[in-house]
Amino acid sequence: MRKLVFIPAWNEERSIEAVIADAREHVPGADVMVVDDGSTDRTAALARRAGALVASLPFNQGVGAAHQTAYIFALRHGYEICGQLDGDGQHPASEVARLISEVEAGADLAVGSRFAEDANPDVPEYKSTFARRIGQRLFSLLVSTSTRQTFTDTTSGMRALNHRAMTLFADRYSSEFAEVESLQQAVRAGLVVREVPVHMLAREHGRSFIGPLTSAYYIFKTLIVLLIGQLRPRQVSE
Amino acid sequence: MSFLYAATEPVVRLTPQARILGAVLAIAFMALILDLIRRDKLLERYSIVWFLLGIAMLLGAIFPVLLEWLARAMGVRDVTIALFSATLLVLLALSLNFSGVAARQSKQITRLAQQQAIDGVEEESEASELRD
Repeated sequence: MRKLVFIPAWNEERSIEAVIADAREHVPGADVMVVDDGSTDRTAALARRAGALVASLPFNQGVGAAHQTAYIFALRHGYEICGQLDGDGQHPASEVARLISEVEAGADLAVGSRFAEDANPDVPEYKSTFARRIGQRLFSLLVSTSTRQTFTDTTSGMRALNHRAMTLFADRYSSEFAEVESLQQAVRAGLVVREVPVHMLAREHGRSFIGPLTSAYYIFKTLIVLLIGQLRPRQVSE
Repeated sequence: MSFLYAATEPVVRLTPQARILGAVLAIAFMALILDLIRRDKLLERYSIVWFLLGIAMLLGAIFPVLLEWLARAMGVRDVTIALFSATLLVLLALSLNFSGVAARQSKQITRLAQQQAIDGVEEESEASELRD
C-alpha cells in the first residue's frame, strides 16, 4: 500500500527537519511531504533539503486548506493511506505509525487523542492551561453529542486516513475548524472514525497564541459551526 | 385603495434643505460611480446596482411624493423613517450579496493556491527524476 505522511507547516524552520527525520524513521516506506502553508521563513527550503516533497501554498491559507492540499495530492497520486502530524514537533511519528496501523485494520479515519484513557502510562501527561482544558472539554462534549460517539481530543491534528476519508475531505473541508468539524462530517457520512490514545510532546518552540478570550470566542464559533454542520446535507461516501 | 390610509393623517416630510442636500449627494454619488467605472475600478455588474441606487436617491429628492407613497405603503407616517428603513434593507441585501461573493471567491482562491502547490510538487519530482 502506498503511504503518504504529510506535515502541515507554517513557519516551522526550527523543527521541520527533526519532524521529517522522525517521520522517515518511524513510518518506513512512506513518502514524506511538507505542506508549506505560505511560510515566510526557510521551512520549504529546509524541508526540500531534508528530502521531503514540498507543496508550497503561495500564501497562508489556514490549516484546513493545507490538509486538503495533501488529500487532493494523495488522491491524485494513488496513495491509499495518509498520515499527518504537526510541523512543530509535538507529534511523535511513532504514534502516527500506530494510527496508520489502525487505518490498515479497517478504520477510515484514526485520530490521536492526548486525553483518552489508556494513553501510554510511561509518558507524563500532556500539559495544558486551564482555559484550554475547559475549551477542549467543551469541544469534546459538543462533537460527542452531535456525533453520538465519544471524542476526547477534537482538535488533534495527528491523524491517519484512508482513500475513502480523503475523498470526502478533498470534496469539502472546513477552512477554519478543520479538526473539529471534520469529525462531525466524517461520522455523518458514515465513516468509521476511531480515536486512538497517543502521547504528544510539549511544544519545543514558540507558544500557542490562544488566550482565554480567544478561546471563548472559538468555543462560541465552534458551537455555531457544529450546529450548521448538523443541518448540512450528509455527504455520500461509497 | 384610499381606505387603507387616512388622507388627513399628518405626514412628516423632508425639509427643502434636506431635499437639496439629498439631490446634491445623489448627483455627486453618481458622478463618483461614473468616474470609478471609467477608471475600471468597479465591475460593471456592481456599478449598475450602485448607479440605480443613485438615481433612486435623486428621484426621491426631486419628487417628494415618491417618498410619501413609500411611507404610506410601509404604513408609517414619517417619511424619514420610511427612507431610513428602505435604505437599511437595500444595504443589508447588498452586503449579504457581497458576503456571498467574498465566500465564493475565497474558495476559488484556495483551490487555485492548492492547485499551484500540487503542481509545484509534481514539477519538482519530475525534475529530480530527470537528474537521477
